[in-house]
Amino acid sequence: MIQVKDIHKTFVVKDKKSRKKKTIEAVKGISFSVKPGEIYGLLGPNGAGKSTTLRMIAGLMEPQQGSITVFGNDTKADSEKVRNTLGFLSTDLGVYGRFTPRELLKIFGEFQGVDSVVAERRGLYLLERLELSDFADVKMESFSSGQKQKVSIARALLHDPKAILFDEPTTGLDVLTAKTVLDLLKIMKGEERAVIVSTHVMPMVEQMCDRVGIIFNGKLHGDAPPKEILSQYGVSTLDEVFFKLAADGGMA
Amino acid sequence: MRGVWLVFKKEIMEFTKDRKTLFFTLAMPFILYPLLFGMIGKLGRRDVQQARSNQTRIVLIDPSSVLEPHLRLLPDDFKFVDVPEGDIKDAIKSDILEMVVTLEESAARDLAEHRTVRVDVLYNKVETSGSVGMQRLEKVLKEFDKTAVQSRLQKLGASAQLAVPTEIHSSQVGGQELMVAKVFGSMLPYMLMLMLFAGAMQLGIYVTAGERERGTLITLLATGLPRHQIIWGKLVYIFFMGIVISTLNIVSMAFSMGVMFGSLESSGAKLAVDGQEVAIQSLSGFTMIADPVVIVLTLLLMIPLGLLFSNFIIFIGIQAKNIQEAGTAMMPVFLLVIFLGVFSMAPGIEKMGILPYIPIVNVSLVIRKLFVQQASVLEYVVAFCMTVGLAALLTYLSTKFLNRESAIFKST
Repeated sequence: MIQVKDIHKTFVVKDKKSRKKKTIEAVKGISFSVKPGEIYGLLGPNGAGKSTTLRMIAGLMEPQQGSITVFGNDTKADSEKVRNTLGFLSTDLGVYGRFTPRELLKIFGEFQGVDSVVAERRGLYLLERLELSDFADVKMESFSSGQKQKVSIARALLHDPKAILFDEPTTGLDVLTAKTVLDLLKIMKGEERAVIVSTHVMPMVEQMCDRVGIIFNGKLHGDAPPKEILSQYGVSTLDEVFFKLAADGGMA
Repeated sequence: MRGVWLVFKKEIMEFTKDRKTLFFTLAMPFILYPLLFGMIGKLGRRDVQQARSNQTRIVLIDPSSVLEPHLRLLPDDFKFVDVPEGDIKDAIKSDILEMVVTLEESAARDLAEHRTVRVDVLYNKVETSGSVGMQRLEKVLKEFDKTAVQSRLQKLGASAQLAVPTEIHSSQVGGQELMVAKVFGSMLPYMLMLMLFAGAMQLGIYVTAGERERGTLITLLATGLPRHQIIWGKLVYIFFMGIVISTLNIVSMAFSMGVMFGSLESSGAKLAVDGQEVAIQSLSGFTMIADPVVIVLTLLLMIPLGLLFSNFIIFIGIQAKNIQEAGTAMMPVFLLVIFLGVFSMAPGIEKMGILPYIPIVNVSLVIRKLFVQQASVLEYVVAFCMTVGLAALLTYLSTKFLNRESAIFKST
């Protein structure tokens, strides 16, 4: 189970015009939890604080206030254990172009402490599931965005994590590839993993997320199943919830 | 420490996967330096041989014919030409002739009356043909002087040895190769520092700022590996590659220079060392000055120096947003390394008492002294310990600093 309790995060940035430093509150007291077998949709516009929240859950950043536990491990005290428990897919399509998917998965298997034979077998299984097995031994420098995304997904799932954090997993993907990713997420849910997906694609959220949290200006608005959110705001689509929040400046 | 090894292994694997990088890093030094020095050697040899095989074209203004008969005895060495039209200096610069030798009208009389005869020589020292011509003339004049003095002494009824009160028979303690070693010893620290830094710099940027730019750094940080082990893994890789690249370059350069000097040897070319001219005949290549103990001690000093440089590189590289920013930020450090290297080559700096206590410079100084067998144990130990201490301190500081998320997520 992933438990996020009242987390806060601020960044100090330099204003280029005034040349003064100012503090930006990126996350302001967010709390929610995700159970095994549940897909949680984290929605919000660019710069709302979604990626920062996911990075804090992944143990890459520390909240200044509040706490996060992932299957009983605190992200501050046991960040390495946390990172071994979860699979993280970032928005950057970062793959090592000089490696083939097979090589990359073997290396990352070692990083995650997975036996090399097991890592290879599981890596090939994931590549097959993601319809990429024909490219297992091709250098990734010539891969398309979709192919790179698939390899990144395989890398994130390689060590069989209990929790999965996907930061905008379908961005830049064609419809078919996006469907493959969504199908995989459903499988993850069936395997009793706790999944958090950050996205802009509203139909996807409505279709597959068990619960949704909308981040706007660093605050979480609504933490409920999609239908409940819609009735809460008296609208018929999640897009409209967004517009309403934007019009109210996040006060709704 | 498992993570350090795994990250190091990953970086090495990534490096070996790119054939171009592999070629330019590992194979290029063994092509470039032999070609470069081979060409220099060949051109140098050809130049000297050409100058020696050709006659020196000379305009001799010798109204009383004092020198002319002596020069005419050497038709293979001297060719008399008429005074060219226009400026005589321009004629020498334009390679129409090599030298103009002028003696006063009273030269024969002066000689007979035991006065000094003035010989004015106009030539171009920069040109090999000019230097060769001057050497030939000096040889003739030396013989001329000897004969003249002996004849004068004879007329006075004195012994021929009257004009030779002393005669030097010198022999050097370390042989002439020690002088050559002094030259190499002063150049080597500069080359070492330059190659140690430059070699590691590009690869260092690739695995730090490059990883951030390509978006792979976050995937690495999201693994279960402790962050400090990721940093150390990269640090070890940068250090290792710096040592490998600089060693390969130095070995190839030393070998190529050895071959070049070997080829110059046959032409009898000379190498200027501290104002003296040391015949290349005494040098059968760089290898003869490379005492195994000196090599080991030099390599030992490269370890902390390499670690020091690697820390600079990773410190700057990890914080840079992209490759371009890292390259720009690295430039002042690179220039500082060049400056220190050039400073360490300056003649006479070994006599400055403070230098053994200035980091990096003291390493250069010790290497210089090692090559001329003048390094003291104390100086070596001070330089080694100081560099090790500094490298350890910088490793601690960079690890601590880079562990902060503000350094890793600088672009956020």
